[in-house]
Amino acid sequence: MNGLPIDLALAWESLPALFDGLKVTAILTALPLLLGLALAFPICFARMSDRRWLALLAEAFVTFFRGAPLLILLYLVYYGLGQIEALREGPFWILFGSPFGCAIVALSLNHAAYMVEVLRGGLLAVPHGIVEASEALGITRRNIFIWVKMPLAIRYGLKAYQNEVVSFIKGTAIVSVVTITDLTAVANSIFEQTYDPFTPILCAAAFYWAFVNIIRLGFGLWGRWLNRHNAEDVAADAGVPGRGAALRRTSDLGQVTP
Amino acid sequence: MTNLSLADLAGYMRQLGEGALITLELFLTSFALAFIFGVLIGIATLSRSRVVQGIWRVYASIFMGVPSLLVIFLTFYGGSAMLGAVLGEFGARIDISPFGAGVIAFTVVYAAYIAELVRGAIENLPKGQFEGARALAIPPAIMWGKVILPQVMRLALPGLVNVWSFMLKETPLVSLAGLQDLVAAAKIAAGATKEPFIFFVATALVFIAFSALSFRLASRLETRLDRGQRREAAGRSSSRAAA
Repeated sequence: MNGLPIDLALAWESLPALFDGLKVTAILTALPLLLGLALAFPICFARMSDRRWLALLAEAFVTFFRGAPLLILLYLVYYGLGQIEALREGPFWILFGSPFGCAIVALSLNHAAYMVEVLRGGLLAVPHGIVEASEALGITRRNIFIWVKMPLAIRYGLKAYQNEVVSFIKGTAIVSVVTITDLTAVANSIFEQTYDPFTPILCAAAFYWAFVNIIRLGFGLWGRWLNRHNAEDVAADAGVPGRGAALRRTSDLGQVTP
Repeated sequence: MTNLSLADLAGYMRQLGEGALITLELFLTSFALAFIFGVLIGIATLSRSRVVQGIWRVYASIFMGVPSLLVIFLTFYGGSAMLGAVLGEFGARIDISPFGAGVIAFTVVYAAYIAELVRGAIENLPKGQFEGARALAIPPAIMWGKVILPQVMRLALPGLVNVWSFMLKETPLVSLAGLQDLVAAAKIAAGATKEPFIFFVATALVFIAFSALSFRLASRLETRLDRGQRREAAGRSSSRAAA
């Protein structure tokens, strides 16, 4: 252990394997993000519905899939669902029979539960007067939702969405427990072959770090694009050093989430 | 419950109970350490020194951008070697237990999040609080302990509750390094009885119940920390507790 704990030759050698692992991690991020988001909309509507039983059902879904640790959800889907006879015989067994399908299902359900809350927070933050004004103008409810409420909700919820996506990516590191060779699993197998505790794990960590920060940059750009009509205000804010940043901090305090 | 006798069930329940205690112990130890270090780091990084700011940025960026699981593996597999590098021959002979690796990893990772919260809260305090304390010649230790930090805790509480519940949901990760915690016990029971569904749902419910309980306590704590603000913020505490 002299000087650098990283064996550069080994790091170079394991780069292709690590890139393959990153690809798997990226797929396991992208698919559940899409599926979870698609699932989150109906559940969010149910959660905000006036019908009590529907709202309660949606709340139960959110409480369970948000409150249970991801590792347990993964075990539950992977080991638990195989127990159900009807499922084993049914057509969905193609999905639940493979580790990859199970991981996608568990991650999507978890992400959907978080996204219901993000969406709800964004939608509740839309000022009521704007909705009333749209109704007064005779815009249909569907169009109000698509063109008035959602664009605002996205702006209000963007920070929370970014936090959720970032912590979700870090959460995917556990899929190696159901035999999927993602980035963490690749690092682990290199460790098992070489008994070098630092090089593979630090390299994988660097990959995750880069992935997460690219996503963060992407969200930053998206946020700036969404707020492009406020460009002058931002420039004016920047003219007052310190204070502006400190003020904006206030609203972010609840947002520092892992 | 097809092939479970009552005696078996009792045995597994005892095992799960022991596992739950280990999980709880790991969680509380890590959170307490992360909290202490987080507050200290948060205060230390208020310094305007470029070096301090640089170190803080690198530290926060690394540990907020890397999965905790990798940090746990790194401390578990590489811990002895790291100790060896720092303490020499003696350190290399210390083996790191999964529990120790978990505590170290969670402390290092979550201290960064808590420090970030504490920094934000301190920056949001009115400057007059510091100036007032100085004008009254209150010594720095008492100023931090009795004036600044109580107000910081009030501001940082919602974020701390977030970190608390996130960390709780990450504690099962240490079972992957070999800790015999609640999740490991559930896995063993699930495999032995061929009833994975019941055991994993039960385990999930334990976690949900614990976080529901801690949210209750948090909203009580919030009322207490808000007692100086009650007049302005009468309606606010209830809405924030829901978040």
